[in-house]
Amino acid sequence: MTNQTVIKVGSTATGFWGKFRSVLARRTEGRAVVLFAIIATFVTVSQPLVFTAYQVTLGRIALIGLVALGLTAVILMGELDLSVASTLAVSGVIAVTVANQTNMAIGVLAALAAGVVVSLINAFFVAIVGINSFIATLGMLFALRGMAFVISDEAPVKLQNTDLGIAFGQPLLGPLTPRILIFFLIFIAIQIFVSRVKAGREFLAVGGNRQAAYDAGIPVKRRIFTGFIISGVVAAIAGIINAVERTSADPTSGSTVLLASFAAAIIGGNYLKGGKGSIIGTLIGAASLGMLQVALTISGVQIPIQEIFIGGILLIAVITDPSSLRAVWGSLSTTFQGIKNSLAK
Amino acid sequence: MTSPVIEARNIVKSFGGVRAVDDVSVSVMPGEIHAVIGENGAGKSTLMRILAGVETPDSGSVRIDGKEIENSAKASIDAGISLVHQELSLIPEMTVAENIMLGAFPTNGGWTKTKEMKKIAADTLKEIGVEVDLDERISRLSVALRQFVEIARAVARKPKVLILDEPTATLTPAETDYLLSMLQRLASQGLAIIYISHRIPEVFKICNKVTILRDGKLVTNDSIGDLTPDKVIDQMVGRELHLDLTQRRPAREFGELVLSAKGIKAPKVNGIDLEVSKGQIVGLGGLVGAGRTELLRAIIGADPRSAGRVTITSNGKKRVITGYLSAIKAGVAYVPEERRTDGLALTMTVAENIFLPNRKEVSPTGVMPKGKIAAFAKDLSEKVNLRPPEVTREAGQYSGGNQQKIVIAKWLGRKPSFIVLDEPTRGVDVGAKAEIHKLVKELADEGAAVLVISSDLPELLELSDLIHVVRDGKIAGTLTGAEATEKSVMSLAAGEKLVGA
Ligand SMILES: Nc1ncnc2c1ncn2[C@@H]1O[C@H](COP(=O)(O)OP(=O)(O)OP(=O)(O)O)[C@@H](O)[C@H]1O
Ligand SMILES: [Mg+2]
Repeated sequence: MTNQTVIKVGSTATGFWGKFRSVLARRTEGRAVVLFAIIATFVTVSQPLVFTAYQVTLGRIALIGLVALGLTAVILMGELDLSVASTLAVSGVIAVTVANQTNMAIGVLAALAAGVVVSLINAFFVAIVGINSFIATLGMLFALRGMAFVISDEAPVKLQNTDLGIAFGQPLLGPLTPRILIFFLIFIAIQIFVSRVKAGREFLAVGGNRQAAYDAGIPVKRRIFTGFIISGVVAAIAGIINAVERTSADPTSGSTVLLASFAAAIIGGNYLKGGKGSIIGTLIGAASLGMLQVALTISGVQIPIQEIFIGGILLIAVITDPSSLRAVWGSLSTTFQGIKNSLAK
Repeated sequence: MTSPVIEARNIVKSFGGVRAVDDVSVSVMPGEIHAVIGENGAGKSTLMRILAGVETPDSGSVRIDGKEIENSAKASIDAGISLVHQELSLIPEMTVAENIMLGAFPTNGGWTKTKEMKKIAADTLKEIGVEVDLDERISRLSVALRQFVEIARAVARKPKVLILDEPTATLTPAETDYLLSMLQRLASQGLAIIYISHRIPEVFKICNKVTILRDGKLVTNDSIGDLTPDKVIDQMVGRELHLDLTQRRPAREFGELVLSAKGIKAPKVNGIDLEVSKGQIVGLGGLVGAGRTELLRAIIGADPRSAGRVTITSNGKKRVITGYLSAIKAGVAYVPEERRTDGLALTMTVAENIFLPNRKEVSPTGVMPKGKIAAFAKDLSEKVNLRPPEVTREAGQYSGGNQQKIVIAKWLGRKPSFIVLDEPTRGVDVGAKAEIHKLVKELADEGAAVLVISSDLPELLELSDLIHVVRDGKIAGTLTGAEATEKSVMSLAAGEKLVGA
């Protein structure tokens, strides 16, 4: 055949800046990076302690970010998992209760298994029965919270092996505590999964256009199961870490984590309807929030006031979505043209 | 004698009470281009979706090389069936390469091999002769380009059977010709092709065999040599239809100026002046990507413009258009190009969809009497020949072409003073197309000003009193309806380079 080209498009960008701009336009983390930079600058100027005490800051980021990382896997597919908050509580309670009767390893395994079972039930309702994930996991959120209370007898369960708990709070590698290490390992694992492994790369397709993904032969239901398992297991890990570090599992824990996790994911540029976003974005979102929280805490700002700050940032993140900004700018400029023209008349 | 690659036997599929496919059998030989045609809602897409394993038939079987295959998307793909869907089915936030390889990422023990993926995608694009940046996201491509990416995806799978469901609906004549010759070349290499289109000339140009469906039933299965275009159309509609597509609008006097657009600049629009008068139909010709849609949207304020002044005069009142809302107030009805996404609420009923922009007309007080809405909707859907005309069904349950008719109905119901149509009959069958043409002409005769984009040259010629041909965001030439020919429009659209080609 003639190798004639009918259509030609794509980046006509040349030179370093041109390429840079076109790469930037393709990423979803843009505003997360900008927000991060703004917060970092603000913090450097007003509370440099945040960086000096980076161990504390990293710990805070890991606390907020861990559950958010798992959650992002589900959000990429356009689903929600509200049950993570209770999964965290239940798995903590199970880990400590079982560990007290046997040993820590079995306790951890039992808690992880609980995380998997919860995910399977969630995914079953969402992928097989076809219930909206908000509703299915909201039900799960309540059911598991109740279960955590039943298992713990409505009071925090003390970890008998307090040595382990204390050791767990200490730096393991350089200045890094096990929590921070686990956080980074999980980040790397999920990031590799969604960017390098076939099943993970297909998450974005399931979220972007589910029918098209199915038509292309992607096992959509299996992907949804995988996503929920990731978020459930990561939430369980977070629950275990919390319980061991505090040498006590509180059945009420996790309620603030839910909101912070969603905030981190959204600030990170993840689109709640799915099909748009990234794990790196969530990391940046969590880092921004963590830094801000530590800075505010050091400055003596009360927790409720901190939450107002987070809410504000969340709104800014959503409003400054490039497409909404473009829309606002566009209508402003058209209106302006119109006014100018009417005056000229 | 060779045996068929694909054979569908006695396929039956009902949706509720509607028999979408009623005991249809089709078989296709290697190297054959087999047309499947029929009116909107005849069951073409449903049959194809069954072959591709994405819809489950009530009964019947699909065989590849004589062996029955299981009904699942994966089984069909593995057996070598590739379907290019009627609706675009790409993932907006994934790259061109990822979309071409969707569901078939090359892997090494679960790890994707990105380099290899890009290489296969690049080779496929080269094979079909399209140049697109592999790392570009789909959401940043034009509709026509997406269509080619979609075809690349089907071809990349090295299928035995390639099914294309109205692939040319979004393409211009030049792109269509290109696609048709590409298909002929693929067929000559032994590929079996099933080709769906509402454009009869295309069918006669490349197909060897024709299957005609009417109301889900097979009415004809013949070699192309035994058929004529007229016969095909008669069999499709089941009655004799007298179409005269070569008819032009007689020269006439127009009323006062309705639209005045001066110095319009916007992305892809480089300074255009445009005027439309009462009772006049102005057509915009040109290639896909020439900036016609962008121009329309900039004029009516649906997209921002960087320069220019637009006024619309209706009911003796002259208004400056600063945004879409002011355009609506001025009596503009806009039927967008991407109807499925921009123009319809798929989970709402037909009546509700038609009612939406006509709230004031139907119920000035704000109460919404169901019966009145239904009657209003029924009247309009009959005008556009909606099939079946059940206005209480969800819009999403209608076939592609019928969805188009719903959008047309909903905008034309308001008797607008200025009508803006972007590819008004794309994917609409011949009968309905004639109805829509009639409707548009009637509205103009009653005093509406009409601005219409069409890549369908006969349509553009039939409707327009005046044709502006747009190229590279500028008006390359203007022809009166009487003097324009397909050739004169095409050569203006393509520029000097392609004249005579
Ligand atoms: N999901 C669905 N639910 C209910 N009815 C449906 C559904 N899909 C299709 N139908 C009905 O099945 C019939 C055949 O539709 P189909 O999409 O196959 O038509 P088509 O021949 O492809 O038409 P077009 O030329 O408009 O694309 C129509 O009456 C349509 O309303
Ligand atoms: Mg169809």
